[in-house]
Amino acid sequence: MIEPLKVLIVEDEALLAMELESLVEEAGHSVVGWATSSAEAKSMVDTTDADIAFVDIHLTDGPTGVEVAEYIGEKNNSMVVFMTANPKRIPDHFAGAVGVIAKPYTMNGLNSALRYLQEGVRRPPPSSVRPAGFTLSPAFETVWAPSTA
Amino acid sequence: MDWKGTREPADAWHMTDDLHAEHGKGDPFAAAIRATRMSMIITDPRQQDNPIVFANDAFLRLTGYERNEVMGKNCRFLQGPKTDDSAIAKLRAAIDERADISVDILNYRKDGSTFWNALYISPVSNDKGELQFFFASQLDVSDRKRSEHRVTADKERFEKAVKERTSELEAALEAQTTLLHEVDHRVKNNLQMISSLIVMQSRTIKDEATKQSLTTMLERIEALSTVHRRLYQSKDVSRFDVSDFARDLVTDLLTASGRSEIKSTLNLEPIVISAEKAAPVALMVNELVTNALKHAFKEKPDGTMAGRIGIKMSQPDGHFNIEVSDDGVGMADASGEASFGMRLIKSLARQLRADIEWRDAGPGTRVVISMPNEPQQKGNVS
Repeated sequence: MIEPLKVLIVEDEALLAMELESLVEEAGHSVVGWATSSAEAKSMVDTTDADIAFVDIHLTDGPTGVEVAEYIGEKNNSMVVFMTANPKRIPDHFAGAVGVIAKPYTMNGLNSALRYLQEGVRRPPPSSVRPAGFTLSPAFETVWAPSTA
Repeated sequence: MDWKGTREPADAWHMTDDLHAEHGKGDPFAAAIRATRMSMIITDPRQQDNPIVFANDAFLRLTGYERNEVMGKNCRFLQGPKTDDSAIAKLRAAIDERADISVDILNYRKDGSTFWNALYISPVSNDKGELQFFFASQLDVSDRKRSEHRVTADKERFEKAVKERTSELEAALEAQTTLLHEVDHRVKNNLQMISSLIVMQSRTIKDEATKQSLTTMLERIEALSTVHRRLYQSKDVSRFDVSDFARDLVTDLLTASGRSEIKSTLNLEPIVISAEKAAPVALMVNELVTNALKHAFKEKPDGTMAGRIGIKMSQPDGHFNIEVSDDGVGMADASGEASFGMRLIKSLARQLRADIEWRDAGPGTRVVISMPNEPQQKGNVS
């Protein structure tokens, strides 16, 4: 049994955050915080100890998700996965993030991604097949999926 | 103003006399040059500063000078502030090299007005090859220059107008693209929220049948969500790669069912359909696959639940065929949900003008859908 993940949710839509929280917890992981803006997210990054942060690009203070990802990258304390309906807004270098789960995702797609990420965080590289709805960043592609790179 | 007539003042005769013995008085060619309407001059490069030694009446009429004002002078008095320096340089170089030259140059009349002069200069040498004179003719081409300038100005104006219009259109396209992205973003977010609402509601429900209904509804909405996600990930939003979609859908449904003993066989040609057909086709494939997953695989006599689902997509000339097969128990028993699923499939088939056929595949069921699928042309979707 792999140790469960501590997850930070950065999402401005309450409904989506609620559902994501339930799903994460049902899968046996824990949610350490939910932020709706970049400022809130940054202070949570400082005060919590998450393994992975799910970051929406569009937050209550604008398209600041990339900035949040960069901030997390500087702190170097958790991995970032973007969750967005607008993957085209992600810069080419992915701001250090592992990858992106494009919205709308399916519940199963998200579950598969969680399993994949858990392996990636605890026992990299992941042994499961990369889920269809999950896209790796170029940097992680070379590390986690070298055969397909 | 008698110099404007064809009759020459006495000093002009004197000047022609000065030219050279070979072109003497009474020579019909000299008379012709004096009388022609083409402005002509002769300069003497052997004298200091290459002065004018002959000018015909046409030259005087063109420039507005009296003969005594031009004789013995270098032609540069025709130049003025707006005369192009590079034209002057060309002229000078040709004179220095004793070469022929033709150049359009802006010249000034005595009264200060300007005219475009199509100037031709040729050196004249004697039999021994010694340079004797320069012979120059001037033609007023101001009209031609004006129309040239007008053409250039028109061209510049048109180019400017085209440029302005292009940037307006680019801005409009940019605005439209932004709007499309915004709408796309909202649609996707809303689909995600609908899914979340159903899932959350479903968690609170105890009744298994109701829960199952909600799950089926979620699957349908997720099929539509997947269409949307894939549609707007591609560059061309008017076309939809249905084979990629089917691969995603089947993988997702199989994993979600948690029935790892059920395997899939995918035989998918890359097939592109118009965006309008994407949603009904996706829903139909979703119905058929979930239907097979739910109903086809009952516990077999040997106690296992294993099975295989196959999807085949092909496009024999002008048609798009989908085949969903299973090796399960055969024609599904029609429960309430299944019959609604069946109605859904039949209605979608009508919308798509598709023929649909259930075949007993012994073992299992094979559903074959065949619809017309004209070649997809860019920007022209039916």
